[in-house]
Amino acid sequence: MIQVKFWGVRGSIPCPGPHTMKYGGNTACIELRFPEVNRHIIIDAGTGIRGLANSMLANDLPNGPIATEIYLSHTHWDHIMGFPFFVPAYIPGTRLKVFGPVTYEDDPLEAVVGGQMKYRYFPVNMGELAGNIEYLRLKEEPLLDLGDGITLATTIINHPITALGYRFSFRGAVFCTAYDTEPFRNLFVTDPNHPAYDELMAMEGEEAAREQNQLLEHFFKDADLLVHDAQYTRQEYEKGYIGWGHTPIEDAIAAAKRAGVKRLALFHHDPDRSDEQLDQMTLAYCAAEHCAPMQVFFAREGQEIIL
Amino acid sequence: MNERKTKLDKIRAFVAKMPSLSTTVGKVLEICSRTDTSPNDLNKVIALDPVLTGQVLKLINSAYYSLVNKVTSLTRAIVMLGLNTVKNLALSTAVIRCIGQINKSKALPNKHFWEHSIGVGVMAKLLAAERGLPLAEREEYFVAGLLHDLGKIPFGDEYIGVLIRAKQEQTPLIRLEKQYLEIDHEEVGAMIASTWKLNPVITDAVCHHHAPEQAAPEHQGLVATVALADFYICLFDIGYAGNRFPDGEQLPTLLELCGLEWSSVVKLSEIVDEEIRKAEIFLQV
Repeated sequence: MIQVKFWGVRGSIPCPGPHTMKYGGNTACIELRFPEVNRHIIIDAGTGIRGLANSMLANDLPNGPIATEIYLSHTHWDHIMGFPFFVPAYIPGTRLKVFGPVTYEDDPLEAVVGGQMKYRYFPVNMGELAGNIEYLRLKEEPLLDLGDGITLATTIINHPITALGYRFSFRGAVFCTAYDTEPFRNLFVTDPNHPAYDELMAMEGEEAAREQNQLLEHFFKDADLLVHDAQYTRQEYEKGYIGWGHTPIEDAIAAAKRAGVKRLALFHHDPDRSDEQLDQMTLAYCAAEHCAPMQVFFAREGQEIIL
Repeated sequence: MNERKTKLDKIRAFVAKMPSLSTTVGKVLEICSRTDTSPNDLNKVIALDPVLTGQVLKLINSAYYSLVNKVTSLTRAIVMLGLNTVKNLALSTAVIRCIGQINKSKALPNKHFWEHSIGVGVMAKLLAAERGLPLAEREEYFVAGLLHDLGKIPFGDEYIGVLIRAKQEQTPLIRLEKQYLEIDHEEVGAMIASTWKLNPVITDAVCHHHAPEQAAPEHQGLVATVALADFYICLFDIGYAGNRFPDGEQLPTLLELCGLEWSSVVKLSEIVDEEIRKAEIFLQV
């Protein structure tokens, strides 16, 4: 059994307020519990991690020192900004491993994530954290054995910096993430009248994009739960967000359906999206007649799912 | 007078015989230094050179990414990893390959000379970051650092004597070059830069890294950064390009031109070694 709980579902920046009470205003943070083997995994350290930390202090710490692992999808700010508020990191005895991708020629993970804990940004310096913290760079991995019967596969997804999708498997249950990502697309000139047009390049670009998209679909094939980027509608995307590294809702649903995903959580909601809009979009996009047998929903802060 | 003329003629002849910066590399440099490079342009310019294409793909498929599915075409690499990554990979690969083909004197052992050059490139880039420059501009600092000592390459075996004197007298190398060889490595660098048609910024780094104030005002920040990186790399004996005793009197000016404190330079020592190791993968390709 994998117990999944959403602690933050927003993209870009936290957006608390009366219009986001239902779906929540915290940025990305997902908790996975594997109760049979007493393992605990966190995906992303957006602002949602603060609530998770409080819950761990109340429920887990009384049973002994906290041991957990954080897997970062990538190191953009909205996915790491909650890290300084992850209180267990300050407690001696805590064992914390932070995994994540590093972009070509950028600083090591420790500097990227911990770099926000400098006095100029935050009253505590990274070196003052009392817990035992290890930072480990992740690359593309076909299969990693995490012990206790948990396995992990990772894949590079399409975002302006290196970002990873995750596929956790445990006793037949599969949980996947694919955010922040945009469908791979042909970056080359496709208009035959354009002076830079090159037929072969245009065709190969088309094919490369199609194959990369197929590889990603294969990556989340048959997942019991897929958490997928769905920041924009297709109309919004085409109007002004191409190349920003996010997926139109319509594309996320179509890809998940082709891949035989059982449940799809649309994730990384735009900060300007109100509860009312998300409710309306649920009616428009998630109805069983379009999606069945797959279940589709807009992820909500506090929501729990058992796989 | 005659002896001086012979020495200079020898150097001129060497420079004239140096392999020219290939058309491809020149174009890659030109395309990559623009911020509005299109995927089509980049792909075309790299693809013109099959060896460069192979090296870029080899690097992409190296342990650095450990990609599950091998990337076998540039087009795919650009679709998958994005324009900027491929651009940076191509730029560094092209420049290093071109320089690696030159036969230089025995005075400076290849391995140590390149370690020094890469060290200065890496450090210049780290300092650029420290100065708060955007990622897109830092690649030029790496290239400028990498190439700054080009002018030492044409010196013949008599350079060994100069290196020994610099060590004995504990003097900055450039002063002795002028005294014993009639020409210093900045002046020789200027000859190469002009033959290779290097862009004005890199040219200034090659020609004025021992006196950044002589560079064009708009290039002084970069040239001083390269000079500061060179000072650091020489001081801490990373690699070897002959200059064991950098001019300490220059340091305050360099720091001022860069807007940095010495303490923030030294602080980078923790990451500079790691970065040099990373950059060295280019030499193995």
